[in-house]
Amino acid sequence: MFRKTSFYLAVLGVVATVLLVRRQSARPADPGPVSAPARSPYDGKVAATGLIEASRENVKVASPRPAVVTRVHVKVQQDVKAGDPLLQLDDREASARVAATLAQLAAAQSQLAVDQNLVEDQADQLARLERLERDRVASKDELSRRQFALAGATAKAAASKAQVAAIQAQLDLARTELSVLTVRAPRDGTVLQVNVREGEFAPAAALAEPLILLGDTRTLQVRAEIDEQNAVLVHPGAPAVGSLKGHAERSFNLRFVRVEPFVVPKRSLTGDSLERVDTRVLQVIYALDRPAFPAYVGQQVDVYIDREAAK
Amino acid sequence: MFHLALRMLLGDRAKYLMLVGGLTFSALLMTQQNAVFQGLLSWTTSHMRNMRAPIWVVEGRVQQVNETKALRDTDVNRVRSVTGVDFAMPLFQGVLKARATDGSEKLIQMIGLHAGTLFGRPARMLSGNIEQLRVANAVVIDELAAERLGRAPAPGQAPRPLAVGDVFEINDREARVVGLCRTERHFFGYPYVFSTYDQALQFAPRQRKMLSMILASPRPGVPAEVAAAHIEAETGLKAYTVPEFERSTLDWIWKNTGIPASFMTTILLGFIVGVAIAGQTFYSFVLENLRNLGALKAMGASNGLLSAMLLLQAFTVGLVGYGIGLGLTALFGLAVSQGGQPPFLLQPAAVLRTLVAILIICFLAALLGIRKVAKLEPAIVFRG
Repeated sequence: MFRKTSFYLAVLGVVATVLLVRRQSARPADPGPVSAPARSPYDGKVAATGLIEASRENVKVASPRPAVVTRVHVKVQQDVKAGDPLLQLDDREASARVAATLAQLAAAQSQLAVDQNLVEDQADQLARLERLERDRVASKDELSRRQFALAGATAKAAASKAQVAAIQAQLDLARTELSVLTVRAPRDGTVLQVNVREGEFAPAAALAEPLILLGDTRTLQVRAEIDEQNAVLVHPGAPAVGSLKGHAERSFNLRFVRVEPFVVPKRSLTGDSLERVDTRVLQVIYALDRPAFPAYVGQQVDVYIDREAAK
Repeated sequence: MFHLALRMLLGDRAKYLMLVGGLTFSALLMTQQNAVFQGLLSWTTSHMRNMRAPIWVVEGRVQQVNETKALRDTDVNRVRSVTGVDFAMPLFQGVLKARATDGSEKLIQMIGLHAGTLFGRPARMLSGNIEQLRVANAVVIDELAAERLGRAPAPGQAPRPLAVGDVFEINDREARVVGLCRTERHFFGYPYVFSTYDQALQFAPRQRKMLSMILASPRPGVPAEVAAAHIEAETGLKAYTVPEFERSTLDWIWKNTGIPASFMTTILLGFIVGVAIAGQTFYSFVLENLRNLGALKAMGASNGLLSAMLLLQAFTVGLVGYGIGLGLTALFGLAVSQGGQPPFLLQPAAVLRTLVAILIICFLAALLGIRKVAKLEPAIVFRG
C-alpha cells in the first residue's frame, strides 16, 4: 500500500515541480515605449537637443525711463508693425511740462508783439520829428533822444524774439520727453510675451524677464545643442531632421544655417538659476518652415544630424 | 532477476521507508535551499525585469544594476549618436524618503522614465493608466508601495492600501497616485514608485548630475551585443546587454557578499546528510540480505548481474525520494508565492542538479553494497 503510494507521490511531485518551474519562468511581454521614440533616418547620426526660436533673435523690449506703466497697448500673439505703440509710461509730469512751456511761449510771444509795437511807435515818432527838425521846429537834442529810444525798443524786441526761440526749444524738449514715454515696436513682429501690466513699475534696465518679448514667428529656427565631445562629428551644411519632444511623428526637415562659433556652457532646460555647469555644448542653427502642426517658440526638439553628409 | 531485486527492496518495509525518507529530506533540502538562494539572487537583478530595455548604459565603473554613478545629461545624446542604436532614453533611479498619510516615513525606490516614451515602464498595470504619469506630480506605485504607504480610512481602523487618486508625500512634495502596477520585489525591499524623468528630478534632492542610467535599444537587425560594443567604443561609457548585466551583478554578489557561501553550505549539508543516511541504510540493507545475495551467487549469478540489481534498488529509492522531495519543495513554493517572502525561484537547472546529486548519492550507497557482494563467498549461505 505505502509502496504504491510512494510511487504516485513521487510522480505527483515531479509533475508539480514541472508546472511550478513553468509558471515561475513565465514573463510578461516587454511593454516597449508607449509612443514611437524619435528615430534617425540616417545611418551615421549625431543626436542633439534643440530649442525652437523665432528666426531673427527675439527682442526683449525695454523701458527708456524708470516709470509706472499706465497703458499696455498690445496683447500676446498680436502682430505689430515698426513704430506701433507697445507701452505707455506715466506721462502726467511730461504733459504738464509741455503745457507750462506752451503758456510761457504764449506769454513770450505777446511780449514780443508789445515790443514790436513799441518799435513801430518809436519809428513813427522819429520820422515825424525828423521832418520837424528839417523845418527847424524841433531841436537836435530832441531828435537824438528819439533815435536812441528807437534803438532801445528794437533791441528789446530782438531780446523778446530770442526769448520766444528759447521757449520754443524748451517746448520741443518737453514734447520729446513726452514721446519717449510711449514705448514703440522697434521692428515688425509678433508679441510673444507681455510681462507687465498697467500700474506696474518698469525699471529702465536689462531684465531677466523682459517687459515685452517681440519676435518673428512666421519663420522659425532650431538651436541644436551638441555635446562638445561630439562637436567634431558635425559637418557644417549637414542636413538634419527634428521632431517635437515626445512626439516623434511630428517631425520636420531642417536646413543648415550656421554653426555658432563659440562653444557655450550647456543651459539646463529646467530653468533653475542654481544649475551648475557640467558640460559645454556646440550650438548649430537650423531653419525650418512653419510645419502644419502647431510648433511654438521655446519648445524642445529632438534633432538628428546626418554625420556622413559632408564625406 | 530485476523483479526479484525490487521485491527484495520493497519487502523490507522499514528499510524502504528509511531510505526513501532520507533521500526525500536530502532532495528537499537541496532543491528548496537552491530555490530560495536563486530567488534571493533574482531579487538583486529585479530592476532589469521591472524596467525592460535591451541595453543598459552606465558609468564606466558600474558593475551591478543596483549601483548608480551619475552621468551627464548630454550623454543621452551621445548614446543616441552611436551607429546601431535605434533610440536611447534617460532613466533616474534613486532611493527617496516618502511620508505615508499617517506620518510615518518609508524609503522608496524612485524610478524616473523618459516622459515622451515612458521607455522602461512596468509591464503589468493593475489599475490606472501609465500615460497619466505626464500629469503634474503623478506617480505609479507597485503593490508593495500601496501596502506600505497605506492609510487608515478613520483613526483606529486598519489601514487600507493606497489606490488610484490617493496622495502621499515624497521629499515634502505631493505625489498623486495615478496607477498601480505589479513588479518583482527588489533585493533591498524598497517598493517601486515610477514617475517621469523630469518629475523624478523634482522629487529627488538636487545634485550636480542626476542622470543615473541610459536605456537603449538597438536598430532592428543589429544584435544588442554589437550595439553595446559600439556604445562602449564611441562614448567610453559601459554598455551592458541584459544577460551581461545580470551576470555582472551576480558576480558582484558572489565576490562581495557572504550570501552564496552560506547557502552553498546548507546545500552541501543536504548532500552529506543524503549520503550518510542513504549509504548507511543501504549498506545495512545489503548486509541483511547477504544470505539471499549469496544464494543467488551460488546459483550462478555473476558479480555484474548482482551489481546491476543493487544499482537498480538504489536508483529506485533515489528516484522515489527525489520525486517526493520535489513535491514538498513545490508545496513550499506554492505556499510562499502568495506572500512573496521568502524569495523562491525554482529553475530547471536546479531541479536537474538535484537529480544528479541524488543519483550520485545512490551510486555511492550502492557502491558500498557492491563491494561487499563482490567479496562475498557463496558458501556463506551454508554457514550458521
